Amino acid sequence: MPMRIKLRDGNLYPAEDPFTTLADDQDLVPGDVILSLSRFQAEGDRLLSEGRAVGVRLKSDEEVEALAYDLPRIAVVALEFPKFRDGRPYSSARILRERFGYAGEVRAVGDVLREQAHFMLRCGFDAFEPADGTGAQQWEAATRRFRHVYQRAADGRTPAFAEREA
Amino acid sequence: MYRYDNIDKAFVADRTAEFREQVERRLAGEITEDQFKPIRLLNGLYLQLHAYMLRIAIPYGTLNAAKLRKLAWIAKTYDQGYGHFTTRTNLQLHWIKLRDAPQILEHLAEVEMHSMQTSGNTIRNVTADPYAGATADELDDPRVWAEAIRQWSTLHPEFSFLPRKFKIAVTAAAKDRAATKIYDIGLAMRRGRNGELGFEVMVGGGLGRTPYLGSTIREFLPTRHLLSYLEAILRVYNRYGRRDNIWKARIKVLVASLGAEEFGRQVEAEWAKADHERTDLPDTELARIRAEFTPQFETLSPRSEALERAKAGDAAFARFLRHNVHPHKAPGYALVDVSLKTPGLTPGDITSEQMNVVADLAERFSLDELRVNYNQNLILPHVKLDDVPAVHAALAAAGLATPNMDLISDIIACPGLDYCALANARAIPIAQHIAERFADPVRAEQVGELKIKISGCINACGHHHVGHIGILGVDKKGEEFYQLTLGGSGEEDASLGQMLGPALPADKVTDAIEQMVEVYLRERKDGERFLDTFRRTGVTPFKEAVYADAH
Amino acid sequence: MKALTANRLADGEAVFWNQGQWVPRFKDAQLFEDAAVAETTEGEAKSQQTVVVDPYLIDVIQSEGLWAPLSFRERIRALGPSNHPQHGKQALGGDDIAALQHAHGAARSTGRVNLIKRK
Repeated sequence: MPMRIKLRDGNLYPAEDPFTTLADDQDLVPGDVILSLSRFQAEGDRLLSEGRAVGVRLKSDEEVEALAYDLPRIAVVALEFPKFRDGRPYSSARILRERFGYAGEVRAVGDVLREQAHFMLRCGFDAFEPADGTGAQQWEAATRRFRHVYQRAADGRTPAFAEREA
Repeated sequence: MYRYDNIDKAFVADRTAEFREQVERRLAGEITEDQFKPIRLLNGLYLQLHAYMLRIAIPYGTLNAAKLRKLAWIAKTYDQGYGHFTTRTNLQLHWIKLRDAPQILEHLAEVEMHSMQTSGNTIRNVTADPYAGATADELDDPRVWAEAIRQWSTLHPEFSFLPRKFKIAVTAAAKDRAATKIYDIGLAMRRGRNGELGFEVMVGGGLGRTPYLGSTIREFLPTRHLLSYLEAILRVYNRYGRRDNIWKARIKVLVASLGAEEFGRQVEAEWAKADHERTDLPDTELARIRAEFTPQFETLSPRSEALERAKAGDAAFARFLRHNVHPHKAPGYALVDVSLKTPGLTPGDITSEQMNVVADLAERFSLDELRVNYNQNLILPHVKLDDVPAVHAALAAAGLATPNMDLISDIIACPGLDYCALANARAIPIAQHIAERFADPVRAEQVGELKIKISGCINACGHHHVGHIGILGVDKKGEEFYQLTLGGSGEEDASLGQMLGPALPADKVTDAIEQMVEVYLRERKDGERFLDTFRRTGVTPFKEAVYADAH
Repeated sequence: MKALTANRLADGEAVFWNQGQWVPRFKDAQLFEDAAVAETTEGEAKSQQTVVVDPYLIDVIQSEGLWAPLSFRERIRALGPSNHPQHGKQALGGDDIAALQHAHGAARSTGRVNLIKRK
């Protein structure tokens, strides 16, 4: 089974990935699957009714608002970084967590590098498929790099201005 | 000025340690240049023609003696003994070695400085009115809000990979000394009907290949909501700004394509959905920041006999007073400009020795404060009138007292092709040549206010679009040519310059400037600046003068 | 005629290829008459990721009996900034420096000859 890095109780671990990501032209396989938005819209109801866990993979130009009504039954939202420079998934992740209160897995896929770990974790990502061969230990170190942060985001960390008030 | 607390210090230390590791990984070959380049850019480190260039952040252009001395020492130890102040009020060191960069950042951290977010597609170092806290025409000290923005924007998790770079400028005065209309976001403080303070929010200004002046999307934003509103603007931009074409990726293109009204509507809709309390600073934090910006002025007479005596016997000092000394809000004080525009030298360049002179003067005569303005000059913001003669003498001895502020030899020039890997043509030698032609202070004073701004490429770091005379270096089959524009302004009467005509070869530029100055002197009516005359006459007489003898 | 140039990774200095070495002075640069050889060498240089950054070929021409980069940009790289003649390689002086300073006939300011990728 393929691996991903998963956040659990504030720590990052290597974890097996129970989901199969299906391309649009790929035949269905048994078990839990992650689909494109269009395939989810076409086949999601049926697959969910079969008792599978279903995730949706959004391209960086697809809006998370498209999933707003389906979120309670979606197990994973995989947000794709076509290039690490494409910063749209950070906004998508924060909206999922902070606006829609989404509690399922938000996974970073695509051009995912350890240098982004800090930003991703702060925006509410809790699962990662690194493209640079880095592992959970390196990600853990990267996300613990900064003892303080200046903003409130989706990770519940206390920003500097609130630390100072305490 | 704002002093770091333990949180700020820890943050910069953590960042510096991270960069040290990243540089080590690059030198060891663990990461490729493609992976490393954005990392070093996020720390202000560019690779240019001759060496690496480190762009050091000077938040809202504010320095003190300790910081400037450290910069002087770094320039002497790790560079060639000089630095270059930019139109973004940062300091660039042009001869840096990659292997020294982590060490340099550690030295900077000792004086609460860094080079974070001086490059890359992030929210860049915030700028503000360089007269903040010293001018009578401001509603509030804009540095309070600039510091709030500095902290909020530092390693912002959502906005560190924007479509393109993003610049914010803040002013609280009627006179716009921060060029807010040419910024991605320009914030200008206004007083509301009930006496409350707020910001006029302008969005989508910017120069570059397609220049725009900012459009107001909100007339009045209560100051306490500044950060949540900025977050809404940035979110709309981050989600919908173009990423397919680097030349269309700035927010100005999004604002222009949607229209300012529709863009503003989207921002308002986003802002309405947000929980402002999570982002806006609590009053206690604003008060804490504000307390850092309260210099204690002595009660002084508004007239200084010592200054009057010095002025009476010294024409050069009197000229310095006319051009480089400005009224202060506190009686008996003045703002004193430090000119980095000696004709014949490089605009914005300053040697380590000069930095130390200015640092000493700041400490002794200006409540340990210094400012950098976007004209690439320095300012001693709180000098007692009694001390101005001594300050002038010390500046003159160091070659920093040229009485030419806002005059024809106070030229903005980017580093251009002498250093920059992006440039198409040189900017500095053009500035040197023009300034030398107008080096006579009597003649420069007769010509009066005339702002020449030179960029070595279309990225417009030299603000050429908003120069009274703008000069853009272009490449024509390998030769340096220069396109002239007229009638630009980056101030409260902002406008974009109008093209004069076909580009000129390098050796014709200064002559063309002189011809246009002659047209202006001939045409001007009672007290008009060059800009006013141009706006009245239009381009025709200038065009005729420059191209009449062109063959 | 072409030369191969890059910036050294560790300090950013402009350097030129000569028989597998990177040298700081343009006068010591190896010149390639054969375009195919030049391109092969460029490929070899590109693999030296921990030595140099972004190697590329430039056109060179003859001027006053000595060789000079064709483009103005590349001449500035080989000399140093024109506003500070005491900084950069030009400070060393010599006939080769003088030749670069006097060279005429610039034809392409970017200097790069491989901006358009050939198939």
